[in-house]
Amino acid sequence: MAKKVRQEKDGGKTIIKGLGFCSIAADSNTVQIEIKDGKIVRIRPLHYDWKYKNLKPWKIEARGKTFQPQMKSLIPPYSLGYKNRVFSPNRVPYPMKRVDWDPQGERNPQNRGTSKYVRISWEEALDIIVSEIKRIKQQYGMEAILSQSDGHGETMTINAAHGCHRKLLRLLGGYTLQTRNTDSWEGWYWGAKHVWGCENLGQMTPVTNVISDVSKNTDAIFFWGCDPETTPWGFDGQLASRLCYWFTEIGIKSIYVSPDLNYGAAVHSDKWIPILPNTDAALYLAIAYVWMTEGSYDKEYVKTHTKGFEKFQDYVLGKEDGVPKTPKWAAPITGIPSYTIKALAIYWSKHRVSFAIGNGGPGIRGPYATEPARLQILLLAMQGVGKPGVHQFKMIEWGLYNKKTNIPLPHPKYVPDLSDVQRGWRYTDTPRQFIPKNKIHDAILRPPLKWYGTTLSRDSTDQQFIPYQYPLPDSTEIHMIWTDSPSWMSCWTDTNDFVRALRSPKIEFVLAQHPWFENDCLLADIVLPSITKMECDDIGVETMSGQFYMAYPEPKAIEPRGEAKSNYQIVCDIAARFNLLEEYTDGKSPEEWIRAGYEASGVAKYISWEEFNKKGYYIVPNDEHWQEQKAGLAAFYEDPGNNPLETPSGKIEFYSERLAVNFPADNERPPVPHWIPSGATHQESLHSDRAKEYPLLVESNHPRWRVHSQHDDMTWTREIHTCKVRGQDGYLYEPVWLNPIVAGARHIKDGDVVKIYNERGALLAGAWVTERIRPGVVYIEHGSRWDPIIPGELDRGGAINTITPHNTTSKNASGMVCSGFLVEVAGVDLEALKKKYPEAFNRPYDNIAGLVVERVLHGEKSRG
Amino acid sequence: MGKVLIIDITKCNGCHNCQIACKDEHCGNDWSPIAKPQPLSGQFWIGVVDVVRGTVPKVKVAYNHIICQHCDDAPCIKACPNKAIYKRPDGIVIIDPLKCKGAGDCIKECPYEGVIFFNKELNISQKCTFCAHLIDKGWQEPRCVDACPTGALTFGEEAELRDLISKAEVLKPEIGVKPRVYYIGIPKMFIGGTIYDPELDEVVIGAEVNLQNEDDGISISCKTDDFGDFWVDGLSPGKYLVTIKNSGYIYKELKADITEKDINLGDIALGKK
Repeated sequence: MAKKVRQEKDGGKTIIKGLGFCSIAADSNTVQIEIKDGKIVRIRPLHYDWKYKNLKPWKIEARGKTFQPQMKSLIPPYSLGYKNRVFSPNRVPYPMKRVDWDPQGERNPQNRGTSKYVRISWEEALDIIVSEIKRIKQQYGMEAILSQSDGHGETMTINAAHGCHRKLLRLLGGYTLQTRNTDSWEGWYWGAKHVWGCENLGQMTPVTNVISDVSKNTDAIFFWGCDPETTPWGFDGQLASRLCYWFTEIGIKSIYVSPDLNYGAAVHSDKWIPILPNTDAALYLAIAYVWMTEGSYDKEYVKTHTKGFEKFQDYVLGKEDGVPKTPKWAAPITGIPSYTIKALAIYWSKHRVSFAIGNGGPGIRGPYATEPARLQILLLAMQGVGKPGVHQFKMIEWGLYNKKTNIPLPHPKYVPDLSDVQRGWRYTDTPRQFIPKNKIHDAILRPPLKWYGTTLSRDSTDQQFIPYQYPLPDSTEIHMIWTDSPSWMSCWTDTNDFVRALRSPKIEFVLAQHPWFENDCLLADIVLPSITKMECDDIGVETMSGQFYMAYPEPKAIEPRGEAKSNYQIVCDIAARFNLLEEYTDGKSPEEWIRAGYEASGVAKYISWEEFNKKGYYIVPNDEHWQEQKAGLAAFYEDPGNNPLETPSGKIEFYSERLAVNFPADNERPPVPHWIPSGATHQESLHSDRAKEYPLLVESNHPRWRVHSQHDDMTWTREIHTCKVRGQDGYLYEPVWLNPIVAGARHIKDGDVVKIYNERGALLAGAWVTERIRPGVVYIEHGSRWDPIIPGELDRGGAINTITPHNTTSKNASGMVCSGFLVEVAGVDLEALKKKYPEAFNRPYDNIAGLVVERVLHGEKSRG
Repeated sequence: MGKVLIIDITKCNGCHNCQIACKDEHCGNDWSPIAKPQPLSGQFWIGVVDVVRGTVPKVKVAYNHIICQHCDDAPCIKACPNKAIYKRPDGIVIIDPLKCKGAGDCIKECPYEGVIFFNKELNISQKCTFCAHLIDKGWQEPRCVDACPTGALTFGEEAELRDLISKAEVLKPEIGVKPRVYYIGIPKMFIGGTIYDPELDEVVIGAEVNLQNEDDGISISCKTDDFGDFWVDGLSPGKYLVTIKNSGYIYKELKADITEKDINLGDIALGKK
């Protein structure tokens, strides 16, 4: 087993672990952890050449300069400071039961979110869980159990962070699944796929060798709603940052189009065009107008590589609706002067432009995100996408799904792969009854539901035309929830409505297993303590850093904290009580699964098990012939007939026949993309009636100092100026960025505690008055821990998703909407609030780390 | 000769890894006699501070780094009544945590603000040690440099880093305490703006913009780019006369005061003759 560790002279030892936070059998951010006397002494970047002296890193050569990987991992701050998470004062110390939830009597669902918890033994917890599952199965059938087990988290393989319980539920007869949506790239998935195929993401595929080609041939990169200095960190590390510096060094212009001066723009931009959130479609249309009227686009390419251009032209020029989409038309919509729009259109037409995209960002997660996403591709097509220097490429997830075609950098001989031994969930294990993640509240409160598409992130475009429903005619509604990724409250949509759903008497039992008492744990009936990856043996791979691809055993660093067990062990314990342990584990111990992982990873051919453990890692060599492969869509560009795209016509479709046939009456995702400020599904435009009461748009990006809801408790990041704002009451509030004009009009000063609100509820935040955000917009990141003052109405923690729009992208597109929506912001009287809600304002609280587990313990005295 | 730290602000993306690596190394770890544990929060032996420059839409962020300068002529050494502060042969200045009696004079006498901290619990002054306990074990660089992903931080022997040092400057050179920390790219001042023709509703490309410092008369000129922008960084603080010339257009003069902060003059309409 993987317990061999290297003994140092002073009695310490050094182990390796991946501290990336994708969680889905794909890691990065590999670190060296030095341990002594059972204590973590330090966490530092892995020096790849520690045990391998003759590594041959790849090299990109362009314009007389060279770019290559560093000899150390480029980890982000929250990997470096991970001790904070392991020793968080908010760890779940032992199994806990909601004090007024009695499985034999009153369940008090209406008190979820307010009632406290009492300590119970593992024995008692397991007894309750087993008897509840048996009861539910008998009373309703197994499909009455909803599994929430997707999303991001610590990346573990055998002791997987998410989904260990799915196999047990399957063995017990089935379950209802909350599907893993395309959260973070919804516009491309629900929109762009109808334009250019590019299965399964809707983002340009393949991206093979694109960064090398961009380095040689591109004049400017548009970071349009993309922040390369935020989202990539938790998934890939910071090579994206080095790439941005490299692009600048070799003379490529970096142009940022975004309402905020995001962290990438703050240091890398040559030009920042501050656009109003979710108005990108209007800007794209005005650029197309300039090109059409001046003839400055690749007409030959449009003729040979695309279909339906005339219908798009009719819309842009105003033949369809009488409104020419001129720069003057777009100026008041986008908040960008018409002369700047024209300049941008002319610049783009005269230069080779590529789009760098990241997941998330203001342009892709708003109402009707299909439209800007589709227009982005259509405009790239008008400039000949696929030709040298003209691409779309991601600054994140270099190696997603372990596919070489998702790596834009030079690639390895093979991508080490542990998905076969992953004990958690897999993309393929979808049961017959499922609910899209952003319809859970509707499923509970407003059944039956109908929608299109599985909504699964890896499914193909065809799926989007298939109708689904919940509950299935021969099935049941859900009555129990089993979650190991309890983060609806801070990450999902209109989550105040989730509170109402979770308080429904229909939901008889909510079981959570998690290392930290945060977010949805507050709505659970039983909370089980699970370990962090420091507390177990496992096996990992680095497959997304873009630097090196490798596999490594991950020995345990420290003993489990409190009474915590791994998620896998917890499910094993439950399986044993159903006499299903053998079937559940396939007869293998965790140690044997780790060994099986090594065998299956692809590295076993090249390094013995003993050597693998002795060295502690194995680096896959580069493919020496990487340069021979064409860049991106070059084959399509050169010969579209023989290299068709995955669209019905094989071409880029300005007009989608498929959408026209399947959804003839859908004016929210019509066959030709449109500017849709408002519609039946959403009224979130500054020009809508609602804007009179809520005159500001929210921009909500992926967080800088967190990965979604992860890491919000880290003492060392919470000390950083842009991470939290200390309120006058000493509480660390989530920052909201306000332009001085917006703040001044509301008499808000830097550092004030403010209320952000709309009809869906309110939350408190700390004002940061800054020029990094344009007027008309407020910026707040998602993922801040929910700390309810009135559950379902008012939050102190700054969880902006409590008040995001309820509906999905559009009528027939089930993406989530969490940016580009209307709110108002106002100052608050903290003293008055404190008087009104003494319990909420006097809970036990750590001055820096924030929420502590004591706040939920029954009988714990408040500090006030 | 001895160790130096060179901080290139133009290569800093603000990730704060240096600040956090320092805490990972020193919070909860006792490296006596080099350093006692740093408190879990509140001290920043290397601290990163973000400075937002300019106004929408010409805004940039610079990340300053605040750290003990390990001066060769360190006022703190002289100020300590207990002789607890010493300079090692390799240039590193150490507050001996075993000799320190918490007098606090070093904090008062240090000419660089916010680099020495007082630990109330241990009753000692604490600061950056360049991770001397690691250097003594054979490490090539302290934790902050090890953790820097962008190459903004460089540590090593002064003699081997002459080229880099020649591009760098020290903080407060006028006080002459001979710091061992060097900075590249300390932000100066900028003036920026966008020029457009309101009649044509187009930006003016190639207009000649001249910035003249009213004190010394030195002027810098540039041409507006494809977006009608001019954006000149690296200026000395002061009052400037900005003149804009383009053939066929009316000559324009503006004033810009960048004594205290950078200025974006905004969108400037240029009228046709």
